[in-house]
Amino acid sequence: MTKRETDTLEAHFEQARATPPQMPAGMMDRLIADALAAQPAPALGGWRGFWRAIGGAPALGGLITATAVGFWIGVAPPSGLPDVATQIITGGDDYIVADATSLDTYTSDLTAFGWDLDEG
Amino acid sequence: MRARLNGAPAKATSGLMDMHDTTDADGVDDPERALLHRYVQGDAAAARLLTLQLTPRIFGHAFRILGNAAEAEDVTQDALMRLWKIAPDWRDGEAKVTTWLYRVTANLCTDRLRKRGRGVPLEDIAEPTDPAESAEARLQRTAREDALQAALDRLPERQRQAVVLRHIDGLANPEIATILDVGVEAVESLTARGKRALAKLLGARRDALGYDDDKT
Repeated sequence: MTKRETDTLEAHFEQARATPPQMPAGMMDRLIADALAAQPAPALGGWRGFWRAIGGAPALGGLITATAVGFWIGVAPPSGLPDVATQIITGGDDYIVADATSLDTYTSDLTAFGWDLDEG
Repeated sequence: MRARLNGAPAKATSGLMDMHDTTDADGVDDPERALLHRYVQGDAAAARLLTLQLTPRIFGHAFRILGNAAEAEDVTQDALMRLWKIAPDWRDGEAKVTTWLYRVTANLCTDRLRKRGRGVPLEDIAEPTDPAESAEARLQRTAREDALQAALDRLPERQRQAVVLRHIDGLANPEIATILDVGVEAVESLTARGKRALAKLLGARRDALGYDDDKT
């Protein structure tokens, strides 16, 4: 390439760099709208973050149902399960240890405290 | 250098590329990366700022390659949407955001050019304004821009991309190599051949474009 050709070419490039092509009207606004529409929702802190973490309102129904079912099983357990609520109320000791002696019986195999009592 | 940068689509002719060969932008200053992180965190201002910063560059490149504003807008919109979609999974250290975006844009332009077939022939481009008929500098500038675009349209696709990236977008050869998925030597070769062809095309119009009438 001659110097003249190089100079001419560089003049074209320089002008192209200085005058970028004009964008169609409204293009930037459309692209900004696209960017905002595609943007992930901002992370929330505090109660809002917790609320979103547990799944928001749709999850609340499930949580309430699970809580109610759990409570009801405790109050009126199916036949295969121990009646914990009744034992607590009546002081029954089939499953719940209500006094120190029973406690020793239940825990002597497991704790140093139980061995101490055996030795005494 | 074969690389797949943050899921950037491969060229129409190449197969799946290895993600881990990329060594382009590690440690390179990348201001858009911080904005992209803010974008992912839901910062609306970052979304606007990124769009404002990236759009003119991407649109300008697409326009120079395609020679058509409507198609350049489509490509710009498509490229940016791909960036927004990949943003939550963006892997730092693989590529600069702008390099990735130029690469996506270059590939989208390539796809369009191949669908379109041959570029617009020079004969179909309006002839530059004859400076003898108008003394307005603006008309002469427009004529020169038209002449450059018409000449660019005549170049083979890869030469056109290399010349635009190097001499109009102002990128360095290693970055162009990453964008075009070729070696640096190939970029130098493409650029040199493209410039020679452009000089030949524009040289024939030098007098008509008024280069002998002013210092430029």
